[in-house]
Amino acid sequence: MRTISYAEALAEAVCECMAEDSKVALVWGSLMGVGGGNEHVNRIKTEFADRIFHPPISEAAIAAIATGAAMDGVRMIFPMGTASFMFRAWDQIVHEAGAAHYMSNGRVTAPVVFHVVHGLRGGGSVQHSQSPQAMLWNAPGIEIALPSCPADAKGLMRTAIRSKNPTVFIDHQKLNRRTGEVPEGPYDIPFGVADIKREGGDVTIVAASLQVVHALEAAEALAGEGIEAEIVDLRSLVPLDEDAVLKSVEKTGRLVVADECPPRCSVASEVISVVAEKGMDLLKAPPRRVNRLPVHVPSNKDLEDFIGPSPDRIAEAARALCR
Amino acid sequence: MSDKRSLDIFGRMILIRRFEEAVYDFHQQKLFGGHYHLYIGQEATGAAVMASLGPDDRIFSTHRNHGHLIARGADPKAALAEILSRADGTNGGRGGTFHLSDPSLGMPHTSALVGGAVPLAAGAGFAAKIAKSGGIGVSMFGDGCFEEGVVYETLNLARLWKLPVIFVCENNTPGAVLKSAGGNNTSNLPEGRVIATPQALGIKSHEVDGGDVQAVDALFSDCAERCRKTGEPIFIEALSERWPGNYYSYPDMVTGKTDVSMAWDDSGMSGDHEAWFREHDPVLRFARTLIADGAATADDVVAMDRRATESIDAAREFALASKPPGTQTVHAHVLAGGM
Repeated sequence: MRTISYAEALAEAVCECMAEDSKVALVWGSLMGVGGGNEHVNRIKTEFADRIFHPPISEAAIAAIATGAAMDGVRMIFPMGTASFMFRAWDQIVHEAGAAHYMSNGRVTAPVVFHVVHGLRGGGSVQHSQSPQAMLWNAPGIEIALPSCPADAKGLMRTAIRSKNPTVFIDHQKLNRRTGEVPEGPYDIPFGVADIKREGGDVTIVAASLQVVHALEAAEALAGEGIEAEIVDLRSLVPLDEDAVLKSVEKTGRLVVADECPPRCSVASEVISVVAEKGMDLLKAPPRRVNRLPVHVPSNKDLEDFIGPSPDRIAEAARALCR
Repeated sequence: MSDKRSLDIFGRMILIRRFEEAVYDFHQQKLFGGHYHLYIGQEATGAAVMASLGPDDRIFSTHRNHGHLIARGADPKAALAEILSRADGTNGGRGGTFHLSDPSLGMPHTSALVGGAVPLAAGAGFAAKIAKSGGIGVSMFGDGCFEEGVVYETLNLARLWKLPVIFVCENNTPGAVLKSAGGNNTSNLPEGRVIATPQALGIKSHEVDGGDVQAVDALFSDCAERCRKTGEPIFIEALSERWPGNYYSYPDMVTGKTDVSMAWDDSGMSGDHEAWFREHDPVLRFARTLIADGAATADDVVAMDRRATESIDAAREFALASKPPGTQTVHAHVLAGGM
């Protein structure tokens, strides 16, 4: 199988969908500016020029324009850049796009793709490092996708564009240039289907996005100590594949969740709540969260590295459970 | 304006008036709770705007949406049932007074957040442009929206991206005298006017007396045609005299149930609201015009009012008989299924 970058896989998905469906439109933002997939980017620029729109810095209005257009069948992909910027459009995403289907009693859909790049990126400091997935998860009506590798990025992006729902598609700055095997041709990966990225019988590590990469590194270290970790990559938070999490915990009896959101009401909190409610008797030990520390993101590199969930911290949490 | 068109628009106006009176009654009877907003006094603008819009056009309204829905042709039964949040309402009882909408009429979603409807309508223009449908987006909104940054962003984007959308700002803020008398202002804008902002962005902008049906119709029909032809955004500031019942937080029927005979019989006109009846009430004002122009007789006006009243009476019965949505339905439609 061919090996391509995460960014190239994303560009390929967008290009395929624009070729397949003349109602797919693209705001020319950071999604196409991350490098990789030049032939796709060039094709989009030339072949679909009448469906690409160069944006002023107006997150709120563009988010709502995309939503209004979506109600009439246009599928707009709106790359908003750093996830911190989507707070400018929170109202439009939560109250308009997220509410349209429910409020119309199922008569209207608003399938927009809001693409953002989350997380600790190295020097992003306080206002360019947000991980909004947990906050978004509290808003009904929005699908949330968080891929961890090029193959998933492509299949999940295709699903996001073709879905009937508004989707927040969350990339991580540190994933864009990573490479991986990606099948040729179009394929969709459905939301709500987690992927076991590594099998193991001793401890379950649930993660998404970059934390899957960190968890896999942690698993290598643990394997050297005789601890076999199973990595459950959620891939989407909405819908959530509860069964995959519970099934893995049933097998291992131990649970660690790695998550770049601060701990209170985080992705990790919610996953552990699900296991507590539906699988308490499966657990041999109290589950562990490995979150970003509950502080703002400082610009200093040592401090930024210190607050994030690292492979070491994930391994340490798993190790503690298996002792 | 042809007589037929005039009578059609008047029919929509009197239907809105009787609808809003029913909404007021229902609220007085505590049949629905919370805050609500009536369109009384602004019927001329909504009815005249809708007269020039077709099936490919999309309209996005606000918290003050009832009149826009009725003018567009919504079934008063379903609309009134929605006011009561009943299962037979336009939104199945999930939207209520704030969110009446009807996708079958090209009104897919009504935002009750100030400024919310403005970019959504631009989005409808965006969709029309992509699909080359020939339709336009229309945003109906109030002057308070100009306090929200997203409206400025939208005007800029509509111009930059050449979106076929008409922004109809119904400026119903009272003048300084009424504000000092204790009435709620609808906006806090230093000039009280909004037209300079779209003008500064190079958007073709017009002002009109929002209480003058013929003026709104003449301007809007021309704007709709130009918007379709050029694909460019247009801005209209419709200056509306605020209905005295809307000066405080909750509507108050201070002018009483409308008596259309006031259009030709001024014996009952006196007191605090005499000027309203004589000069501003758009229903009475247009009735006088119809009679003066020979488009209708007083008897015709009475007959049209009777038809509207009967329609709303039937809608009241329907709404009151409609069941609430069962709690077992509450989980439906959070997410849509399929691709």
